[in-house]
Amino acid sequence: MRKSLFMVLVLLGIFGRAYAQEKFTLNGYVKDANNGEELLGVTVFVQELRNGVISNNYGFYSITMAPGEYTISYSFIGYKTLTRKIVLSEDMVQNISLVEESTELEEVVVTGERPEKNVVDIQMSVNEIDIRQVKKLPALFGEPDIIKTIQLLPGVISAGEGTSSFFVRGGSADQNLILIDEAPIYDPSHLFGLFSVFNADIIKDAELYKGGIPARFGGRLSSILDVRTRDGNNQKFEGDAGIGLLATSLSLEGPLKKDKSSFILSARRSYVDLFARAANSENLVHFYDINAKVNWRANNKNRFFLALYAGRDNFDFGDDFGFDWGNRTATFRWNHLFNDKLFSNTSLIASNFDYGLESRDASQGFTWDSSIEEFTFKQDLNYFISPKFELDFGYHLTYRKFSPGRIAPTPESIFKGKDLAKEFALDHAFYIGSQHKLSEKISVTYGARFSLFQNVGKSQVFLYEDAQNNINPVRTDTLFFDQFETIKNYFNVEPRLAVRYIVGENSSLKLSYNRMVQNTHLISSGTVPVPFNTWAPSSYYLKPQKADQVAVGYFRNFKDNEYEFSAEVYYKTTNNVTDFADNAQIFFNEDIATEYRQGKGEAYGLELLLKKNEGDITGFVSYTWSKANRTVPGVNLSRTFDANHDRRHNFNAIATYDYNDKWSFGATFTYGTGKPTTIPAGSYQYGDGYIADIITDRNGFRLPAFHKLDLSATLTPRKNKGKKWETSWVFALYNAYSRKNPFALLTQVTQNKDGDIIGDGTEKEAKMIYLFPVLPSITYNIKF
Amino acid sequence: MKNLKQHLYIIAVGLVFFSCEEPVILEIPDAQDQIVIEGLITNADLNYVKVTKSRSFYESGLAEAVPDATVTVTNLNGTAYVFEHNPENDPELEGIYSAPAGFIGEINNSYALSVIAEGVEYTAQETLMPVTTIDSLTVEVDFEEMEDPEDEGRFYEVIFFAQEPQDRIDHYLFKFYRNDTLVKDFAEDIYFAEDEFLGSEIDDLPIAGYYALDDTVRVEMYSITREAFVFYVDLFNLINGDGGMFSPPPANPRNNLSNGAFGYFQVSALDSETIIVKEPDN
Repeated sequence: MRKSLFMVLVLLGIFGRAYAQEKFTLNGYVKDANNGEELLGVTVFVQELRNGVISNNYGFYSITMAPGEYTISYSFIGYKTLTRKIVLSEDMVQNISLVEESTELEEVVVTGERPEKNVVDIQMSVNEIDIRQVKKLPALFGEPDIIKTIQLLPGVISAGEGTSSFFVRGGSADQNLILIDEAPIYDPSHLFGLFSVFNADIIKDAELYKGGIPARFGGRLSSILDVRTRDGNNQKFEGDAGIGLLATSLSLEGPLKKDKSSFILSARRSYVDLFARAANSENLVHFYDINAKVNWRANNKNRFFLALYAGRDNFDFGDDFGFDWGNRTATFRWNHLFNDKLFSNTSLIASNFDYGLESRDASQGFTWDSSIEEFTFKQDLNYFISPKFELDFGYHLTYRKFSPGRIAPTPESIFKGKDLAKEFALDHAFYIGSQHKLSEKISVTYGARFSLFQNVGKSQVFLYEDAQNNINPVRTDTLFFDQFETIKNYFNVEPRLAVRYIVGENSSLKLSYNRMVQNTHLISSGTVPVPFNTWAPSSYYLKPQKADQVAVGYFRNFKDNEYEFSAEVYYKTTNNVTDFADNAQIFFNEDIATEYRQGKGEAYGLELLLKKNEGDITGFVSYTWSKANRTVPGVNLSRTFDANHDRRHNFNAIATYDYNDKWSFGATFTYGTGKPTTIPAGSYQYGDGYIADIITDRNGFRLPAFHKLDLSATLTPRKNKGKKWETSWVFALYNAYSRKNPFALLTQVTQNKDGDIIGDGTEKEAKMIYLFPVLPSITYNIKF
Repeated sequence: MKNLKQHLYIIAVGLVFFSCEEPVILEIPDAQDQIVIEGLITNADLNYVKVTKSRSFYESGLAEAVPDATVTVTNLNGTAYVFEHNPENDPELEGIYSAPAGFIGEINNSYALSVIAEGVEYTAQETLMPVTTIDSLTVEVDFEEMEDPEDEGRFYEVIFFAQEPQDRIDHYLFKFYRNDTLVKDFAEDIYFAEDEFLGSEIDDLPIAGYYALDDTVRVEMYSITREAFVFYVDLFNLINGDGGMFSPPPANPRNNLSNGAFGYFQVSALDSETIIVKEPDN
């Protein structure tokens, strides 16, 4: 293996050329001059070579060139481009600070006729989320939320109003890997999805990969949402407080040692329950998030980070019942420069998601809990061999523990305790990916991820007479496995390829292919995952899910990169997509294996995006045409059906307008084809007045279209001299024209608003459920 | 007494804040009607098979009866009983086929149903499982309900006691009656249980409904097979679902009838207990 890899490198001419002529390396970190935050994805362009690199995920860049005089420009959206002349006669370190472009100054940015990242970057099917823009956009109850902006991106569909789930390119919600500082979040929802776990105060940036996914990512089929938090200002102390209708937040950050070390601490809590408590209500609901991060830049070669997140929702219904859920993550990172060209990132990551339910009824009391927990070791290396060739490779090892459920009765309860068997898995992945600039016009990245997934003990596997009989499963035998004894191994090769061809001065064509493999399966049969869903590993009964995607795109920038345009088409097939039998019992089922059904998925679509990056008005419009279907033996009589996430047309527009230095405005508009749902073909009477629908065709009906306009205005009163703080008000209108948007359709025996049956109880009606009417909100922020 | 697993759906569905609902008219093409069979064989004097037809979603009133079917129930010994359509000619009992006089189900016997309707034979087979006996019923005042009773005077709870045998697998269906009228907390409620999560002491379990002084309250406990339990779970999910948002997509309940007939052929042992509501002693 190692030998053949070396041969590949030699054949590619990397080593051969490296020794041919003496070369020197320019490297360093790029950061924000104001707060010392590292900037990721900065274009470092060498004018003379008409070539460049992009700073990596930790703000590091490295270019190796022949000795000489060079003009290097550092450019990043929203920042002034910095150009430096250097004489390269030995290895050099250039740590760069970029200054934010202020909106007050109308200036012409000299870009040196350098096309922007959108066109040049080999990566396609990726969207960056500008957190500064998210904060200016209207938000439900005034809580800015990146997930709500992500739901408006091309190729992304919201799972439903008021949810934090989203579907990417015809994949279900569980096929998105959601990362906070590289740690996975298993359920990103607060209050069943009204808000996401991402507190806007702490987020530095976020990227969504929908296709052409780099080899360093794996584990989910459809997308990677990579959210990174800020490091904290290492220049001066700062604070931020926000008071909204629903939640209040506080952030503190500052240097522990100027330029060397900083911290950030951010907390958010909803406080509706405090009023409820004051009003003596027994029904109490709240959520909170805490993010903490410290970093220490020991020297230019070693940097350390520790990031922690904890968030939780608590629902308390007095004497009746209560439930809660939450995520906890921890990431420890060590960035190390082995030499000028070899950048290393070593991470230790832990993540835990759990939920609990408690029935407090005297005779029917119980507690129920369930969790998933994982520990990951990651060794990632970036080898900046030359401006023409970069290599990324690494090894990831993850240990996962799945605890599907445990019931413990309260003392007087009629129930008895039960503990579902835990499952364990080891996930090894070795990856290698290269970025190869073949010519000025053509660049390619190619690589592969080799994943070995091991479902291991200590556990047990039931064997069944008929593993698909979910009515009366008959177990024929039980296999017992010791700790770390292999139950099932799954080895997969996931090739990744991307090609970029520069067509003209400001445009490029890109093509990508990726195979993704998913070995953690969400056990959920509804359209929207609820926090009470559990996860299961690939196992004796569950095969790994696999997706192959091809995407082609055209990218063009206009007017000196003020506008970005992209058009992409994709085609994706999925094998072994995990679904569940009709009528599946997914909660607390020891024989859950008999409910698994795996089949095929198909998705394709067209995505158009026009983005305006600079000026008083910024924002984007996106349009997506897409189709997604599934064919799963044993589901819907094995006939192909429209997937829950199938929508034909989606149009979204967002804009922010900086009117003057006091006022700015934001607006979002969204339109989408209605979601598919199942309606009855008829009905029949059975037993004691029950009227059952006859179901013939899953998802055979479309709800009416969804459309909605949100508006916001931000007032930042002029900062008074002598005052140390700055305040702002955010006024927002959610669903400005109060469109009744369908959320779900259900049928029931005809009844009045109080739930009393009308008539003789033999008449049925269909009811549409609508969520939010127009909702105004106001938020007050203090920055000090 | 709801199945434990149902709790979650109820929570999820009930938690849609700020929502409002409105009836909408769906355009549903008229489907061909299908045979619906509701059969019940017990070890008591409660044995019938009802044959009706399904209909379009918006039709109401009594289901269309199928009066000219041939209904036969055969036990393990091969003795066949022909059920007679509406022997009393009561218009309320159209579509109901009654067991011949003296017919009574036996515990551990199996029963095969044959319904020949409109030229098609529908069959089912089911075993009569033993049922746990109800130990006792008692009455308690529900003080919360007493403060603001939904119905005048109805604030007494009836409490159920039984011993759940731990050495066999049981599934139960419950029905509650106030003065011979069926009681449900909600129209879509079905009261069933499996014993997988039940301990041996079923104590202090309140039944559905609130009762007034002097009400005659009857609790019926039916043994059902695993298949019948699954049918009732599916039926419950279907009539209580939210259309597939949080709950699973709606699907036809799995049943024991052949040839695509809807309904179920239920075979049960039955135990019942009656109490007249009096002021509790304490």
